[in-house]
Amino acid sequence: MAADDLDAQEALAREFQPSLEGPLVGEKKSSHAITEEYAKADPVYVAKTAALPQKYSHYRPILGDGNCGWRATGFSYFETLISLRNAAQLEEEVARMTSLNNFLTTVGGFQEWVFEDMVDETIGLLKELAALIPNSVEAAQELLMQRFNNPEISNAIIYHLRLLASSWLKGNPAPYQDFIQGDLGIDGYCKEWLEAPNQEIDHLGIMLLIDVLLKPVGFAVEIIYLDRSAGSQVNSHMFQDEEDGVPTNPGSPIIHLLYRPSHYDILYKDNNAAFLLQQQVGEVVVNPNIQVNRATSFSHHHDVRSTPSSLHGFSDLDMTALLSIPGFCAPPPSHHGFPAQYSPVESTFPGSPISAVSPASSGPSPGNTSSVSLATQFPPQQPTQILASPILSAFPSPETQLPIHNHTSQSNPIGPPLSSHAPLPSHPPLPSELSPPNSASSFRPSKYEWEAAADWQEGPVVFKTSTFKNSHYNTAHYNNPNFQPEEWSPDCEESENGSKSRKRST
Amino acid sequence: MEDTQNSAPGTLPPAQAAKLGAPRRAADAQSTTKRLQTELMQLMTSSAPGISAFPSADGNLLSWTATIEGPDDTPYAGLTFKLSFAFPSNYPYAPPTVLFKTPIYHPNVDFSGRICLDILKDKWTAAYNTQTVLLSLQSLLGEPNNASPLNGEAAELWDKDPAEFKRKVLGRHRDVDEE
Repeated sequence: MAADDLDAQEALAREFQPSLEGPLVGEKKSSHAITEEYAKADPVYVAKTAALPQKYSHYRPILGDGNCGWRATGFSYFETLISLRNAAQLEEEVARMTSLNNFLTTVGGFQEWVFEDMVDETIGLLKELAALIPNSVEAAQELLMQRFNNPEISNAIIYHLRLLASSWLKGNPAPYQDFIQGDLGIDGYCKEWLEAPNQEIDHLGIMLLIDVLLKPVGFAVEIIYLDRSAGSQVNSHMFQDEEDGVPTNPGSPIIHLLYRPSHYDILYKDNNAAFLLQQQVGEVVVNPNIQVNRATSFSHHHDVRSTPSSLHGFSDLDMTALLSIPGFCAPPPSHHGFPAQYSPVESTFPGSPISAVSPASSGPSPGNTSSVSLATQFPPQQPTQILASPILSAFPSPETQLPIHNHTSQSNPIGPPLSSHAPLPSHPPLPSELSPPNSASSFRPSKYEWEAAADWQEGPVVFKTSTFKNSHYNTAHYNNPNFQPEEWSPDCEESENGSKSRKRST
Repeated sequence: MEDTQNSAPGTLPPAQAAKLGAPRRAADAQSTTKRLQTELMQLMTSSAPGISAFPSADGNLLSWTATIEGPDDTPYAGLTFKLSFAFPSNYPYAPPTVLFKTPIYHPNVDFSGRICLDILKDKWTAAYNTQTVLLSLQSLLGEPNNASPLNGEAAELWDKDPAEFKRKVLGRHRDVDEE
């Protein structure tokens, strides 16, 4: 290739300007669009973008108006909260954001009139989402899109995030100040990089934003770097709470951001389910990420692969007894009988002492929890729901009939979490199993993996989270860079079970 | 519609809340208006000496007229300057456009009244407001930034010939009526 061509392509890359047309937050679309966009670019880009859709099925373009990194992160924060379908957690975020006002004043040095209108938008959105979620997640998502595409509201929320990041830096300068370039100093950096409207987020800014906004709520962030560095795959870096390099909250939801020099978009990994179904298929959607990104912790892929076939052996078990339970329809063959039989394992934890490990789970929303769990609880109903949703075209239709099977076969990564249930040696007897509010997701494939579970050990890392039991309302936490509130989230459930089992075994 | 917009977030029934996006989008400058009202209250209740500001008579809250009294011990002592503030619809996420309406001889103000002040350009943050801008301008009168002058002659005279500078200031100053 002639040097001229390279120069031309480099110039093209330099001149890449994110579109300033269109919505602030675009609709989710297939990642193949990125591949096509780079089809004629440098071979490095071609290779990297060709590989991208295999790992990240969808992406969401964010307008490149200088706020893209802030907007992408902020949007993902709300979107992930919606996907967890936990109104109580949203209410906790309302409380946390309210309490952070004090932080903005005392540590950030901002007067209330500066931020009160902005915080109102953040908190108002959280509250409205909390109200919508029990009824209609779709409506919550729609509201989120509307708000984030309304410049007035969107920019207010983003500026709130800027002020939070700025305050966080002022309150915790030690880990960050060496990253400040030049002689700006902390105040200068805050003013020039964080508080200047439309100033694009830099690396330090995104670290601060993750630390103040996402880590406390238990979300991890993976940033995927699409650049011309060598290799056929994009580089990525994971930002999450870690202890000695091991994530303290391995089951946490992960937000994926695609970074191209000076621009951020959102990526998604849900290959087999659309956003709307993340709860029902939540285990599938999230766990593959965990698997991929924390490979050191997982070693049981092979067990998972064998799971579906081994399940068939249990297909005849005990079905008639289950039929006598009110509300429990005749399950499809081969999958539901087995999990139902073992569901006592699941049903123990919302109310059990162990679940107190996570204050959020034992916390204010049993009703909400149950509504969530009921969906998975009665799989015979699930196909109906699924079929009713247009998104479901994403599912191969035969598998639509059998959601569980679907999960297992499409993503072996479920494996590790599955096994985490096993070390629980004693379960309450069967009769308790279907009492609605308690029996969370009995049909998760997790319980199928007794053997794998027996030696499924992740180390005592997760256990650590149980030491942080302090209230969200205590703002002193936020001064601790390692602070990590615990909260229940369906997507985290398996790993929490992991901690549970570990607890028993230690 | 107005009632819907003014009710507190989160108090709406879900179905109604879901539809809120559309009506709110129409009222694009709602938060700007609220912010400016807040600032007006601050200016009226606080007693920052030598500065004042008030929305222009036409009832448009995005357009204000302000006055600065020249600080003592500066060539501007005893003089009063009128300024115009034009707030963008996305204020405070963009700075107001501020012009001297009173002719002023100053190193950082050109003959159209345009001002070279970093916080009115790239150093703007939403934590600034009308009052901080006026205070900054007031201190700019006594401490011009002669490194980046809009009026080169003024920058030179400031250092070399204070008496001549003062004479030019007084010669240029004249009271203007509200247009």
